[in-house]
Amino acid sequence: MEPACRKDKPKLNSTPTRGDRAKQKSAQQEQKQRQRAEIYALNKVMTELEQQQFEAFCKQMQSQGE
Amino acid sequence: MTGPNATTSACSSAAKMGRQRSKSTSGSTYSNSKPGAESATLSTPNNAGRSSGEEDEKDGGVLFYVNRTGFPIEGVTWERMWTHVAKVHPDGQDIVRKIRNAAYLPKHPVPPVPNFKPSMSVPDWLLAIQNYMKTLQYNHTGTQFFEIRKTRPLCGLMETAREMIRESLPIKCLEAVILGIYLTNGLTSVERFPISFKTQFSGNHFHHVVLGVYCNGRYGTLGMSRRQDLMDKALTFRTLSELVLEFEDSYRRYQHTLKKVKIGLYVPHDPHIFQPIEWKYLVLNAARLGREDMRKELEKHGRDMRMKILKSSTAQSPIKERSRGKSLSPRRRQISPQRRHVHRRDKSGDLDRWQSILRRKCVGEGM
Repeated sequence: MEPACRKDKPKLNSTPTRGDRAKQKSAQQEQKQRQRAEIYALNKVMTELEQQQFEAFCKQMQSQGE
Repeated sequence: MTGPNATTSACSSAAKMGRQRSKSTSGSTYSNSKPGAESATLSTPNNAGRSSGEEDEKDGGVLFYVNRTGFPIEGVTWERMWTHVAKVHPDGQDIVRKIRNAAYLPKHPVPPVPNFKPSMSVPDWLLAIQNYMKTLQYNHTGTQFFEIRKTRPLCGLMETAREMIRESLPIKCLEAVILGIYLTNGLTSVERFPISFKTQFSGNHFHHVVLGVYCNGRYGTLGMSRRQDLMDKALTFRTLSELVLEFEDSYRRYQHTLKKVKIGLYVPHDPHIFQPIEWKYLVLNAARLGREDMRKELEKHGRDMRMKILKSSTAQSPIKERSRGKSLSPRRRQISPQRRHVHRRDKSGDLDRWQSILRRKCVGEGM
């Protein structure tokens, strides 16, 4: 094939370009960071809930014991 | 654990029924719990008002989900996590909306991985590791973020440990054991071995696991739990029995009855070996054994471990040591050596302590 033809040959769009991959990776990183932030915000709330319930249960058991 | 400290002094009673053990063979799919099985369990709405005292497994229907698809967490698993939270939290929907729609959320700093320096003492190093795990926090979300299959080869589990460090997310007890193994690899003066507990409270069974450590004549543990006294213990216990009985005393503060203790074998320091962890070489039925008998069994096991005369049934030479020309596929597993189940229920009425040979199915990974 002539070099000119090769240059003019339309590029197959099935393979992502380097730029596409970089963008995808960046988007994934952002998503992971956001998920991590949400997970820790959630964990804070659930940890507090667990502790409240545990303390309430302890008090209940103590009052029953008395 | 960086969560609130357990008010153990204020509460002399049992902790509420808790959640489940952080090990699962299921993915992000719900699976029913079965006694003794290691499947994920889902919390029922009825459990919303109950708080866990410590680790537990299949607590009469308490379940959790497991993320099996890596990171970022894919849609189904992610939505399931929030659906679960909405069910179990009293302000469920509000909490979910508030967090998910927040324009700004504080960024939880990624803790630096502990870096061992030759000048550090072993206790200091173990403390650094434990503090690192506490900074990751105990996972109360109801979704386990890292899948741990206990039968995986050690090399695979160490890859999961690296992922835990990379992703830096809350963990539960089983994940903490794997992470503890990874972070103590190479410190050959420290031996690591799993210690598993099965307890009973209010008709339900609970499971928990910590990483036993032995160094220079002293025992301790690393681990994560909802309760402070069921995780790390300083390297001060002179015998294995002292350590285990300390856990039993801790459980008793929550009115949990210790039913079984399972002690594994030392985990090799080579993170690349194909051999799985031996989780339950010695199984003690605490319900049947008296405290003194348990002490004797534990001390014997401790001695045997220290003398390094115990071999896992799954022990096999690393691939690199195999002769050229021979197949590199894993050796066909031999019948496992006699494991010790002390005071296992004997249907024949025989009171002999020693259990006959167990055959255990080998589940390995291709390489």
